[in-house]
Amino acid sequence: MAAEVVAGAAVARPQIRVERVAKSYSGRTVVDVDELVLGDQPIEGLIGPNGAGKTTLMRMIVHAVPLDRGTITLRSPTQPELLLSSMPTEQIARHGVVKSNQLITDFERLTILDSLLFAVTESAYEAPHQLFSERTVFERHRDEIERLLDYFGLTDRTAFAMSAGEKKLLDIIRCLILRPRFLLLDEPTAGLPDDVTEKVMDALRELAAAGSTVVIVAHDLNVIWKLCDEVVFMAEGKALLRGDPQSIREHRTIVEKYLGEGHV
Amino acid sequence: MNLAWLDAFLIFGLFEVMMFIGLALLLHLQLGLARIANFGVVGFWGLGMYAFGVSYVRVDWPFGDPWQFLVCALIATLVAGLAGLVVGWYIADLDIDGALVGTLGFATAVAILATTEQELTGGALGMGGLGFPYDIGTVKENELVWLLVTTGVVGAILFFVWQVHRSPFGRLLIAVGANEPLARSLGKRTFRAKIGLFVVASAAMGLLGALFGVMVRFLDIGNLGVEITLAAMVGLVLGGTARVWGAVVGIVLTVGLFDIVVQSYLPLPREWYTQALPVLREAAFGLALMVVLLFRPLGVLGEMRRDRLMKKLHGR
Repeated sequence: MAAEVVAGAAVARPQIRVERVAKSYSGRTVVDVDELVLGDQPIEGLIGPNGAGKTTLMRMIVHAVPLDRGTITLRSPTQPELLLSSMPTEQIARHGVVKSNQLITDFERLTILDSLLFAVTESAYEAPHQLFSERTVFERHRDEIERLLDYFGLTDRTAFAMSAGEKKLLDIIRCLILRPRFLLLDEPTAGLPDDVTEKVMDALRELAAAGSTVVIVAHDLNVIWKLCDEVVFMAEGKALLRGDPQSIREHRTIVEKYLGEGHV
Repeated sequence: MNLAWLDAFLIFGLFEVMMFIGLALLLHLQLGLARIANFGVVGFWGLGMYAFGVSYVRVDWPFGDPWQFLVCALIATLVAGLAGLVVGWYIADLDIDGALVGTLGFATAVAILATTEQELTGGALGMGGLGFPYDIGTVKENELVWLLVTTGVVGAILFFVWQVHRSPFGRLLIAVGANEPLARSLGKRTFRAKIGLFVVASAAMGLLGALFGVMVRFLDIGNLGVEITLAAMVGLVLGGTARVWGAVVGIVLTVGLFDIVVQSYLPLPREWYTQALPVLREAAFGLALMVVLLFRPLGVLGEMRRDRLMKKLHGR
């Protein structure tokens, strides 16, 4: 049964708490969330019509978009509460909150192998005096990189990601290889073939089973219904409803505002 | 040592080629990898040159050469590196236009300071009193040895740049240049990387300035013009900003061709050397830049080949 958005109860997995957060562009409010907890369940979905503020909210969580007001915090069973909204993006990522991108984005001059090595290299090795550490980094992460690339079928490691689908997939693999505690995915399966989409969903289930939290924004509702344990519905910048997938897809307001009659 | 066969112009020409290769290699790290437009190369180089000159001539050191040279060269390197830290901090998060203006402004400030701080730098009158940290005989012999010393330093810079391409630091610089927001979203401290790059490159530019000061033995504010930056940049763009050897090839094709072949070996009228050639040089460099950007925008050597490098490094 769907319910109005309220703060979720504390659970033994990473949670992100969004409180009194707003963002406007040129006087138009795109996000205005009073209170929202992400991470009540291992895998949560964020759905809503275009312009609902889903992507902006995700970008605000990793501070890629500054907040007009409010706070965003990370709660975790293993460490004290962190105020994400006061941290730069890179620090948020270093605390294990990682986000994939809605739009196709890549390091054009880096190969697939390069790109993954870049993601996993510790800062200690990325300094001007560390001129001979490449081999160390490669040997340390070789198995994990090969396992992921084999799994997703990217066999030519030293090639560049050429197609939009490959770049999208590489973006997701970069996130996965960081073993995030809290993974935010924005349209992760857009442009991916069905078999790869299934593999991505399996990988996300595996990540969630290992104790991480996954939040997905997707217009492909099949992914949401199949994968998510809980779904939040956003419209006009507000988180209006949350509930299990079945209750959300049957909810009158959502059918009227988003899914359309006859969807279920 | 009988060096009658060796033209003094050739020694100086080769020294200039070496020095510009060094500057272009350092610029390659900034512009070619991290895509930071440093139009203030002459500022860091000139600061190193004057820091060396002032500390060498104005300070009464309790020891002589070669220690005096080594200490003063170290001072020049540190001062330029410190300037790199300040300027890098200032421009690190600016866009390419901001970085361009910021670095150009820094170079202008260095030139103005060198001109106005006459008690220290000699101002427009210039500053003498510099010399080689050794004396093995004639001026030509000393200059030849200095050319070899400079070649060694530039060789070390080349090795450093070569290794940067093969290291996680180089990959970080490339990622910063290609997509900094994405790099940050993966937890990379891009600001720190850019600052580190600026400090190291600026310090090395300062050292090259000190080496130049020794070679010319007289510091002249006329050396602090935009020509130094322009020559390094044109050479790098012509050779290929993204490739290590781009700096070498480009400088040989521009500075080498003009300052050695044209100036020393073409039968040009004598009066051209004072007035026409310096202007022609800049015009020729500008024309070369236009032609390259029109017909081969990535330079003679083209785009970097990470695919080949990764295969070579990791065998896959």
